[in-house]
Amino acid sequence: MKGKTISEKVLSRASGRDVKAGEFVWATPDLIYIHDITGPLAISALKRMSMEKPGFKGKIFFIFDHVFPPKDVQSAHNILSMKQYADDHNISYVKEGEGIEHTLFIENDTILPGMFVVGGDSHTVTAGSVGAMGIGLGSTDIAVTIHYGKNWFLVPESIRVDVRGILRRFVTGKDIILELIGKLGIDGANYLSLEFSGGGMEKLEIDDRLAVSNMTAETGAKAGIIVPDEKIRRHYTTRGIDINPVIPDDDAKYVDEFFIDLDDLGPKIAAPFSPQNVKSVSDVEGVKIDQVYIGNCANGTLSDLRQAAGVLKNRQINENVKMIVIPATRRIYREALDEGLIKIFIDAGATVGPPTCGACGGNHMGILGKDEVAISNTNRNYRGRMGDPTSKLYLANSYVAAASALEGYIVNPEESL
Amino acid sequence: MRGRVFVFGDYVDTDVMAPGGVLHLDIDSIKEHAMEAIKPGFFKQVRSGDLILAGKSFGIGSSREQAPAVLKSMGISLILAKSFARIFFRNAINIGLQIGIVGENLNFTDGQEVTYSIEDRYIIDPKTNEKYTFKLPEKLPMEIISRGGIINYMAGEFRRS
Repeated sequence: MKGKTISEKVLSRASGRDVKAGEFVWATPDLIYIHDITGPLAISALKRMSMEKPGFKGKIFFIFDHVFPPKDVQSAHNILSMKQYADDHNISYVKEGEGIEHTLFIENDTILPGMFVVGGDSHTVTAGSVGAMGIGLGSTDIAVTIHYGKNWFLVPESIRVDVRGILRRFVTGKDIILELIGKLGIDGANYLSLEFSGGGMEKLEIDDRLAVSNMTAETGAKAGIIVPDEKIRRHYTTRGIDINPVIPDDDAKYVDEFFIDLDDLGPKIAAPFSPQNVKSVSDVEGVKIDQVYIGNCANGTLSDLRQAAGVLKNRQINENVKMIVIPATRRIYREALDEGLIKIFIDAGATVGPPTCGACGGNHMGILGKDEVAISNTNRNYRGRMGDPTSKLYLANSYVAAASALEGYIVNPEESL
Repeated sequence: MRGRVFVFGDYVDTDVMAPGGVLHLDIDSIKEHAMEAIKPGFFKQVRSGDLILAGKSFGIGSSREQAPAVLKSMGISLILAKSFARIFFRNAINIGLQIGIVGENLNFTDGQEVTYSIEDRYIIDPKTNEKYTFKLPEKLPMEIISRGGIINYMAGEFRRS
């Protein structure tokens, strides 16, 4: 059958049937992972099913990134109980401190183009950055998939996003996805898959692609896949890795189409209290900030750290601002150290933390107090997301966040630097 | 059935249902903080058999199953919304929490008594006798809910190979 999107092709293979959008299928993923916040509930479900060992024959990883280093006894116990369960049931886990799951599994080639990945975290869509289909699921769904080796899925219809042009200076993948969220709205792709292609996408480095796919979750999308191209092929062949990329048919059917011209795209920002509250940075210029936070599953990359360090080099952050920088993985941390980026952050007056999901989800390591205002390159800014319900969070790229740290208020780096 | 209806707007997110700062705790502990950012004291008000009535994309945000789990654990027996966010929709079904879809803005006061039937898909305002109908999920999800969740459903449908 022709006329298929990437999602239709991936779910056809995973279900062993030739399926189209709108069909319910029983499908088997290639990879399952779950972390220390959604994991304990999954283990409760696995215990209710009296699983002895996984029926799923692919790769399973438990990973401890959300509340690591543990902030209290309960978070320590969550990790211990997951490790114990993993050891007793023939399941692998990633040692603490290796990094944030979605970034790490792309970095270490666990996720590859064309794969069908399910994760116990909504930002599993980040797998789309390398042309994999990543779907976020809840704890019991993950448990059922581990136990039975399959689960039910509705094959999604797809929206095509055509990206053309070239990114301007101080504009990144973050701005592409913020622009799209502004257009689509926070549920504009609910139950749907987004498929990105076009000359503008083909020029993007993988770090920029991570940012794009990651925040497709903030359109409600089930998957956010960037059509794997020559850059992806080269990325893997230079590392000697064979891949089986999946691309859409020329006559694939899309329910809608969006067009983004990078030549016209400036730095964007999502104002409180929703990622869909997207504006031009210039529209909120001057908003006083108490905290700058750099780092999460999409934007704790080496590119982000280079961008922020480039802005901060030989400068001091504003005396009223605390700045927290979290490299997403141990390898990124090491590379940032080798490149001298960590020294720049420390000399500028920032605090550098270990790889962790940290304050992005309001767990720990940078929680906001009453009425505090922050700018961050993270992915959600709902009420209370990073701390107290009265606190406010603006989402932007790393240049904007770092430039704002220098001034103590939000600035557009296109004008301030 | 009788219960009270708690009214919410559009885009109620999972962070307000189960806040990140307490997400590493058990359901009973998270429950005390459910909706506190937008409806303080919510968990003290809810009794078994109560309903939630909400707008668009209820449960938007993260994959945390703790979000529907705290609502179910409090005693919420039915959530009616104009639409549900994808993962919340699955999670609610998987834990056997009944959800339904309403097509219009229903005019209820927060906390008021209503009578309703899941089987016959209606909710009645006893003050005005106004009756509203709602839609239930499709066949497969409904079957999962009616068996008390995905664990029971799978046990009934599949044997481990």
